[in-house]
Amino acid sequence: MNPIEVSHVAKSFATTQAVADVSFEVHRGEIFGLLGPNGAGKTTTIRLILDIFKPEKGTVSILDGPMTEAKKDRIGYMPEDRGLYQDIALDRCLIYLGTLKGLSKIEVLNRLEEYLERFDLADHRKKKVEELSKGMQQKAQIINTVLHHPELIIIDEPFTALDPINTQLVKDLMQELRNQGTTIIMSTHQMHQVEELCDRIVLIDEGRDVLYGNLEAIRRQYSGNAVLVRAAGELPSIAGTEIVRQHNGTFKLKLAEGTSPQEVLSGLIAQEVLLEKFEIAIPSVSEIFIRVVEEGDK
Amino acid sequence: MSKLWLVALNEFKRNVFKKSFILALLSVPLMIGFTVGLGLIMSSLEENDAPVGYVDHAGFLENPLPAPVDRSEEPIGFIPYTTESEARQALEAEEIQAYYVLAPDFGETSQIELLYLKEPGRNATRQFYDFIQINLLREQPPEIAKRVTVRSEVTIRSPDGSLEFPAGGPTLGNFLPMLIGVAFVFLLMMSSGYLMAGVVEEKQNRVMEVLVSSISPAQLIAGKVLGIVAISLTQLATWTLVGILAVIVGGDVLGVEWFQNPSIDWGTIFNMIAIAVPAYVLASALMFALGATVAEAQEGQSLGAIFFMLHMIPLYMLVILIENPNGAVSVMLSLLPFTSILTVGFRSMFAVIPMWQIAFSVVIQTMCALGALWLAAFVFRLGMLRYGQRLRLTEIFRSRRTAITKASQS
Repeated sequence: MNPIEVSHVAKSFATTQAVADVSFEVHRGEIFGLLGPNGAGKTTTIRLILDIFKPEKGTVSILDGPMTEAKKDRIGYMPEDRGLYQDIALDRCLIYLGTLKGLSKIEVLNRLEEYLERFDLADHRKKKVEELSKGMQQKAQIINTVLHHPELIIIDEPFTALDPINTQLVKDLMQELRNQGTTIIMSTHQMHQVEELCDRIVLIDEGRDVLYGNLEAIRRQYSGNAVLVRAAGELPSIAGTEIVRQHNGTFKLKLAEGTSPQEVLSGLIAQEVLLEKFEIAIPSVSEIFIRVVEEGDK
Repeated sequence: MSKLWLVALNEFKRNVFKKSFILALLSVPLMIGFTVGLGLIMSSLEENDAPVGYVDHAGFLENPLPAPVDRSEEPIGFIPYTTESEARQALEAEEIQAYYVLAPDFGETSQIELLYLKEPGRNATRQFYDFIQINLLREQPPEIAKRVTVRSEVTIRSPDGSLEFPAGGPTLGNFLPMLIGVAFVFLLMMSSGYLMAGVVEEKQNRVMEVLVSSISPAQLIAGKVLGIVAISLTQLATWTLVGILAVIVGGDVLGVEWFQNPSIDWGTIFNMIAIAVPAYVLASALMFALGATVAEAQEGQSLGAIFFMLHMIPLYMLVILIENPNGAVSVMLSLLPFTSILTVGFRSMFAVIPMWQIAFSVVIQTMCALGALWLAAFVFRLGMLRYGQRLRLTEIFRSRRTAITKASQS
């Protein structure tokens, strides 16, 4: 059984339908992207998974069944922004939250040492959380999420406020955890991070899942309406195409409806263009995101 | 350690080690100490132990009997002068604080003239009149003279003997129910305020979300209430300790009679504790629910002030409670939630409260407390993750109706 199985869940607040119909499964040992525009219902979906809210319709299975108190110790959760006591020392805060995850104080202290060193927070352990920079607080939150070595991690916007070095640090940690068999659900708006980290995704829009599956398969599915071309000389105009972008001598040609990449290639050869590069443009997750959401709005 | 205890311990530590808590903890005994000290200083300023002179033109005080003096007072020296000019010189030389002149016809007119540069002490005036009085009665048998000079001793006692105002004035025990009532309301508002502020803060910094992914809402509420109870017990223990110390120091060291014989009625104290416990749970649960519904601490404090005012109603109606401690208003306020504890405290000073009223009040407070706990748990689930917006009353009712409908359908 998959660590998470969400089936047709729905949840509303007063007159707002936060989640209308969302279904997806998360496989063991993968990084799963939970994507969607602001207000799409991502956070509500996470709270439904964590049993903080009860769904009005549908079912959620987490770690082989409904949520129990014992399962909470096997899950790491990081909400978006904040999530730590501000007026107490960092180590005291992490010790308390760590012990609430079933660790003894000794265990927390042993593990904390390693993580604080790794995230360059060891010298700040006695500072109040509110005295730390946003980036430091974000790293502290990540430590709190992984400290008890959970088998399932749900993490909302993990890269907020992090500089490139710390972003890489977190990415390395996430990949390391995935390699160790930890299942990770990541909700983020940083699409390049999704491309780099996620194995599969679900895109939620207006409370419904509108795109779901393997990331590479989805990108291939959305490819085919553009090609990347670099020629030795001037690029002639090709019927049924439109130049949308040029970068380092490579042109991105958008294909008109009914025009295939093969027809474009034939046209280029027919005009005896000396080709240095010709490939079908795989859309970025960001492009797919925008296209799907805009189509939904129409 | 179970998660419930971890939450309780954290709640306790987070509040108790704050400077504001220590300040608040010490403020009550300091305030009482300051008030009592100020009273003693004011009282001592009105006393003056310097000798008093007198000029007896009537020859009434030749070989006078000494004035009867209360054990708690220093006896004032009375110095006779032959002439008024001698007495005046002594007054100006500050050898005496004042002098009295008994007119030649004192026997008929009882006229005495008092001369001073600065108003004499009340103790000196009192002792001089006792001095005159005892000498006026010197022809009477000693027991009659003594009976007249010693003031009347009336002990007021309730028919069942459980309430008594001794002749020397009310004892510490007479005031204790009122003091307990006031201290309890103060304690209750302080600690439930901490609870509410903690919940609002955890909502604001989203720790609540992390907490409920680690522990059940029921455990979280129970842990927090336990922590707050521990805080209150700390406050109570500190105040009790300070009170005991004050009684020991005041009674044994300073010899204050009021502290030497406090005459505590344990039955009344037990009654008050019986009402206080559910009243405490009621207030804590409501403040917890309030914390879960509001968006900001300031908003919670404003609404919390309403609870405080409700507890203060007996204070506003103090005159009615004193004038008619067993009247309809007094009985009603003794039974109602919020007003009960302070009303019972005030009434216990002046009347014997029937046992049925105490029992009825305990039942009402307990039922309200249970209802408030249920409400707190319900509202908490609805409002715990509302960021930046208040939970409206209509939403609570609507959610409750939906829950009832679902329950009846299943």
